[in-house]
Amino acid sequence: MKKSKIYGIVTCIIILFIAVVFGFSKMKDANSSKASNKTIRVLTYANWNPFEYLKNGKLVGFDVDLIKELSKEAGYKYTIKNASWESMFTQLQQGKADVGISGITITSDRGKTFDFSDPYFVSRQSIVVPQNSTVKSASDLKNSKIAVQTGSTGQEAAKKLFGKDNSKILATQSGVTFQMVMHGQADAAIGDNTNNEKFIENNKGNKLKIVKDDKAFSPEYFGLMFPKGTSYKKSYDKALKKLIADGTYQKIYKKWFGVTPNTKELSKFK
Amino acid sequence: MTSFNFQLIIDYLPYFFKGIIYTIGFSIASIALGTVFGLLIALGKMLPNKFLAAPFKGYVGLFRGTPLLVQILVINFGVVPLVLGKSNSIVAGILALSLNSSAYIAEIFRSGIQAVSEGQGEAAATLGLSPNQTMLHIILPQAVKIILPPLGNEFISLIKDSSLASVISAPEVTYWAQAMNAQYYRVWEPYLTSGLIYLILTLSISSILHSVERRLAVND
Repeated sequence: MKKSKIYGIVTCIIILFIAVVFGFSKMKDANSSKASNKTIRVLTYANWNPFEYLKNGKLVGFDVDLIKELSKEAGYKYTIKNASWESMFTQLQQGKADVGISGITITSDRGKTFDFSDPYFVSRQSIVVPQNSTVKSASDLKNSKIAVQTGSTGQEAAKKLFGKDNSKILATQSGVTFQMVMHGQADAAIGDNTNNEKFIENNKGNKLKIVKDDKAFSPEYFGLMFPKGTSYKKSYDKALKKLIADGTYQKIYKKWFGVTPNTKELSKFK
Repeated sequence: MTSFNFQLIIDYLPYFFKGIIYTIGFSIASIALGTVFGLLIALGKMLPNKFLAAPFKGYVGLFRGTPLLVQILVINFGVVPLVLGKSNSIVAGILALSLNSSAYIAEIFRSGIQAVSEGQGEAAATLGLSPNQTMLHIILPQAVKIILPPLGNEFISLIKDSSLASVISAPEVTYWAQAMNAQYYRVWEPYLTSGLIYLILTLSISSILHSVERRLAVND
């Protein structure tokens, strides 16, 4: 009886495993044969106002406008689809999509699996604390509980500052970090500054404030993410240069962030 | 909680309605498929031949023993593309929810079938009914009555579990709650609204099941 049960379970797992592997490999084949097709399949995780979000059901944002202009400039047709964060990475890795744009920070870890374009946005982390907090810089947070978004670069920044295995760094879903600070579950939240400012602007009664610390938080660069070995990187890099030179980039930036970008910061990327 | 903004919810209602249609669709399709699969698996699991029964036991073990979230991801990125050639969040959502719930429903069916007293089967055999006829006309009708309350439980968890399909961008209620959260940077308005929607859906299905139970009780 027991043996047959184990046998059955093992069989099922093997069958499922084969199905998955087979499914993945088949998708890759289907993709490579379409390499000459010039309709670019764009993926985004529309969950980050103002970069990309669903405004009354429609996909909008800085990244969305930018990828449209970039694709036009590079001479491609495009389709833009909303996917979840993990699924965006999976689909790009499998070559089921051609480019991801979703405020993705260029990191060397991600660079092992994906190709990145030249940076199109410079971002910094900042700290969110209650208005009555005495925190003035990141070093004041040494013994504090810090809320970060799981898998974000804010989490990485916190780990870098306060230790990789620090149990006081609390990882949670996006949006919940602010709640944790408001309700005293955490002393501070570390996250992308654009995000922090937007939240505070939309929730004025919550008595939170932002503390910036450009010394502690090094700049992050966002890039378009491609499957490894992509043939599209070159034309998108060229298109980005063109849009910055002719002012289209600045126009889109102003539309979504209300200020003119410092495009020189982009070229500091190493 | 500062200044709960009802206007935002009213503005966003059309999208929640879209989401409700998908949530209800997911739930009904998965309840129907899950019940059919579940019954077949329960019968398979009770086969006297150990080797024939083993795959069904393995199925229940596998789907009850792994997280639904993982199943949804595997089915969306592995199984569905294999059949359809590309991922489809709606097909994957329904398939994952039905396969998952069928494992639980199979156990519910088995418990119901085994709860019918053995004398019923023996009496049917004496009357000359074949084993299949006995199962279909004597055992199952009585078993269904017994299992209605746990089945209702399963349906209710299934409705709530459908929220997990949001990870593969299936546009159901939770997906729109997340989108609303991202658009307005507000937490309570979207998530409390989605909670209320799930509550209404689950209360409706439990009242439907309750009235079915009462109707069937008339024959007792």
